[in-house]
Amino acid sequence: MFNTRKWSVLLISALLMAALALSVSAQESITLTVWDNFTRDAEQAMIVELHAQFVAEHPEVHIVRISYDTSSLTDLLPLSLASEGGPDVVMINQGFANMGALVEAGLLLPLNDYADQFGWWDRYGMGLHTRNMWSADGTQFGGDTLYGVSNTAEVVGVFYWRSDFEELGLSVPQTLEEFETVLAALHDAGKTPIVFGSLDGWPAIHTLGAIQHSYGTREEADAFTFRYEGGTYATEANLLGAQTMVDWVNAGYFSPGFEGMDYDNATTGAFLNHEGAMWITGSWMAGGISQELGEDQVGFFLVPPAEAGAAPLNVGGVGLGYGIRSTSANPDLAAEYIDLMTSADAGALLLEYGYLPAVAVESDSITEGTLTADVIAAWNTISGADAVGHYWDWTVPDIAAYIQELLAGVTTPEAFIETVEAEYRAAE
Amino acid sequence: MSAPAQHSRSWRPFGQRWQAYLLILPGVTLYALFVLVPIINTARYSFYDWTGFSEPTNPGLQNYAEMFRDPDFWRAIGNNAFFVIFYTLIPILLGLFLASILTRGRLRGMTIFRAGLFIPQVMSPVVVGIIWRWLFTLDGPINIFLESIGIQGRAWLGDFAWSRLAVGSVGSWVEYGLCMVLFIAGAQAIDEELYDAARAFGANRWQEFRYVLLPGLRQQILVAFVLTFIAALRVFDLVYVLTSGGPGKTTLVTSLLIYDEAFNRNRAGYASAIAVAIGVIILVVSGSVYWIQQRQAAEEEQ
Repeated sequence: MFNTRKWSVLLISALLMAALALSVSAQESITLTVWDNFTRDAEQAMIVELHAQFVAEHPEVHIVRISYDTSSLTDLLPLSLASEGGPDVVMINQGFANMGALVEAGLLLPLNDYADQFGWWDRYGMGLHTRNMWSADGTQFGGDTLYGVSNTAEVVGVFYWRSDFEELGLSVPQTLEEFETVLAALHDAGKTPIVFGSLDGWPAIHTLGAIQHSYGTREEADAFTFRYEGGTYATEANLLGAQTMVDWVNAGYFSPGFEGMDYDNATTGAFLNHEGAMWITGSWMAGGISQELGEDQVGFFLVPPAEAGAAPLNVGGVGLGYGIRSTSANPDLAAEYIDLMTSADAGALLLEYGYLPAVAVESDSITEGTLTADVIAAWNTISGADAVGHYWDWTVPDIAAYIQELLAGVTTPEAFIETVEAEYRAAE
Repeated sequence: MSAPAQHSRSWRPFGQRWQAYLLILPGVTLYALFVLVPIINTARYSFYDWTGFSEPTNPGLQNYAEMFRDPDFWRAIGNNAFFVIFYTLIPILLGLFLASILTRGRLRGMTIFRAGLFIPQVMSPVVVGIIWRWLFTLDGPINIFLESIGIQGRAWLGDFAWSRLAVGSVGSWVEYGLCMVLFIAGAQAIDEELYDAARAFGANRWQEFRYVLLPGLRQQILVAFVLTFIAALRVFDLVYVLTSGGPGKTTLVTSLLIYDEAFNRNRAGYASAIAVAIGVIILVVSGSVYWIQQRQAAEEEQ
């Protein structure tokens, strides 16, 4: 009885002291709040490792990191950046409705000085930086002021089952014509040439975009996306691409019932179960595929250009960019954080976790003939040639609905181009 | 005039009334903070050009003017109206049918049937959406069944002609449980003597339904109507998961349009205008139902 009371007094004073100690250390430490979109379990380990490096250099810093899936993050950013005590470092999606609107509202810090100081310009080519750049008033996409630095990259290309190509003696096509020969050969052999599902809408943007990029030029794609002078969707390339995709639908080159297949379950499942030979989608699936099937069974190549030897323009880009809230109390620290997260070291780590890093990494450690090697080779090809194209929905958010109409034959390729162009003009 | 005796009994000293207000204060505060203030703000923002985080500019009626010209708005309203058939009419009919069976029969295991039939109503719409997405695929169970009876299957959710019907029928599947439970509860309150009397006069099952059950459930039917009608007008999650408004814009509903305008296009002012329009429609319809209800109650008292 007596002891209990004594112990409780001791315990309470111990707790009080601990609380006191905590509050003292809290006063001395700086809190850096980070919002990102690394939500998967495997990614936690990667971030923890990088954070340990950061805190080792800055013991006074306490990092509070909150991760959201991309669409929640996108929805939450405007209000949180506008509020006092919002996050210091945030990942921002590109495009007019996202980064553009935030820049226009003055919520993001221009990063040009930091980019000079830390050498961020050399992380990757200017063609990629442009996606995170705006005029200071946020009206001109692809302007001269940097607002984000990305750590991941992505390219839409073709995953293919090597066994199907070996069986039919096919090789990786170098032109769109050769690609169509491959499609016909697979179809004749009774296989579904391309696994595809358009129920979610956005995968159709990637597939159609990939085919249109094959006909298109960098200048046209940039002018449309950044709304430069003369930018238009009504190009010869886009019409040819739309017609080609419709031809492929009519030829039965896509999964039967593709209009009712979603991406995460139906389409992904169909490719992993080898219900089709190829799948036109983003490099972000490489990690998942090699986890399920290993590194040897599936390869990756770029959608080839329409003309032999032309620049291999392909849909792709950099992932969400790290930016800094304009009213952050610790912008220098935030910049150091971004520097670490986009460094070559971080890139090597990203690669380990199945990501394609935006920054160039040593590829010595990667075995030839693996899926990872294919994806990196594809990325290096277009990144080096400054041939990374664009996602059309950045500029025309409703385009997926119009592509569904195109693929269902509800509208003609000509009318489709007109509709998209009208929407593009209307939003000017 | 001297106050009648009853009045003095219902009269409350000021102190007690003050206490009553104090008791409802927390509830009213929360309601005001999270319901009234946002509603007022939405109405206010609907008169401005507003991105959702910038300063509202350019006050005027331009959002409403644009709304009336916007083909997407009319299409979405049309789809909501179409979904009223599936969210309101079919569930009420199905609920009446099930209630008439489940209350009159004396089957063993009736509770299990009732519980089982109610399950779709309590499931998360996202779960429902994911399940039905799979059921509706080209090689899914629905098509396997249809093909076994000689009907050609199709990718229902991605089909321009059938997607609305497919999404709508999932709505019926979700909503009928609510109607059924409301009607069963109402039916149990109907005096057994009415049935006995009906039978004594030689009424068959249909006549029992028509002249005993249906009039007895009038209040419940009105309640079910209001609840499911509101559900049909504000449906979001189910359509978002099933089709996101596609293919094309065939299943676009107003709530999806509001979401798209507010979050994907940063046009919160315009989105607010659409929200206000939907709010007014819901208010008018539930108001008229309330009015009908009051009139009926008054008639019954006479």
